[in-house]
Amino acid sequence: MPDFECRLKKFRQMKDMTQEQLAAQVGVRRETIMRLEKAQYNPSLKLAIDISRAVDAPIEEIFIFE
Amino acid sequence: MKKKKAAALIIAGVVFLVLLLASSWYSVTFNESRLVVPINLSEYTFRMKDLPMICSVSLFCLYIIYLSVLLIKAILKNKMGENSMKYTRNLNPKLGYLGFLGFAGFLGFWTYHLNQNFSAFVFFLFFGFFGFYYEGRMSNTLMDERYKENRLKATVKSYQISTAIIFLALIILGQGRAMISLDFTLIAFVVVVTLALALQLFLSQYLLYRYDHSEPSEESEESEE
Repeated sequence: MPDFECRLKKFRQMKDMTQEQLAAQVGVRRETIMRLEKAQYNPSLKLAIDISRAVDAPIEEIFIFE
Repeated sequence: MKKKKAAALIIAGVVFLVLLLASSWYSVTFNESRLVVPINLSEYTFRMKDLPMICSVSLFCLYIIYLSVLLIKAILKNKMGENSMKYTRNLNPKLGYLGFLGFAGFLGFWTYHLNQNFSAFVFFLFFGFFGFYYEGRMSNTLMDERYKENRLKATVKSYQISTAIIFLALIILGQGRAMISLDFTLIAFVVVVTLALALQLFLSQYLLYRYDHSEPSEESEESEE
């Protein structure tokens, strides 16, 4: 299990996006977004960048590694 | 492959086969069956009457080589297409029932008893087709990076397990003391290797499905959307 905190849900809701919409925008499945939000999946650098662009937030604020 | 090309290939195959049969008949009838029955090539001397047989065999061999090249090219093309695919292939989970064909492997005990032939044990490999059930359940799934990661994890795990089984069988059966005779040792080895390969085929699909679906708290988020 990846050891990090993920604030994607907060940023996604601020942009008023559903998991489905975000998933379609970054080219992954909704389940992948769901696991990301629960910090159960460690994304690749490319996906992290795509997500940060999609929700307009810096990567280091979305994914917080201790 | 276009229909015209396929038809041309089939017609060419039939023509070459007819030529081969005709030259064989010619050789049997007028040329003392030379090049039809096995001969010692070191003592071979060329005769004009051998020419039809040599030509037809050469043509047929070239045809087979050409078909092999086409087959290899098609396999490579499919592999490359697979890499660029975005969704998993559409498969009916009922194809998993093909796994029951694996029970045909038990015929090996009967054929061995009958005429010492144990090649039927290889049918145990069909047990691997049970994996189609899980592949079918994941039909038309977007292959995102998490899917690819899970697929790799499942493949590696399944190879690890099957290799460990084969390795253990090799050590145990290689001692030669575990069975009564060399025949039984060989049979046991064939059975273990085919079952291990079938397990690998099945596990690679089953584990992929499990990694992708059985992680906790999947549905809880649905209601929030």
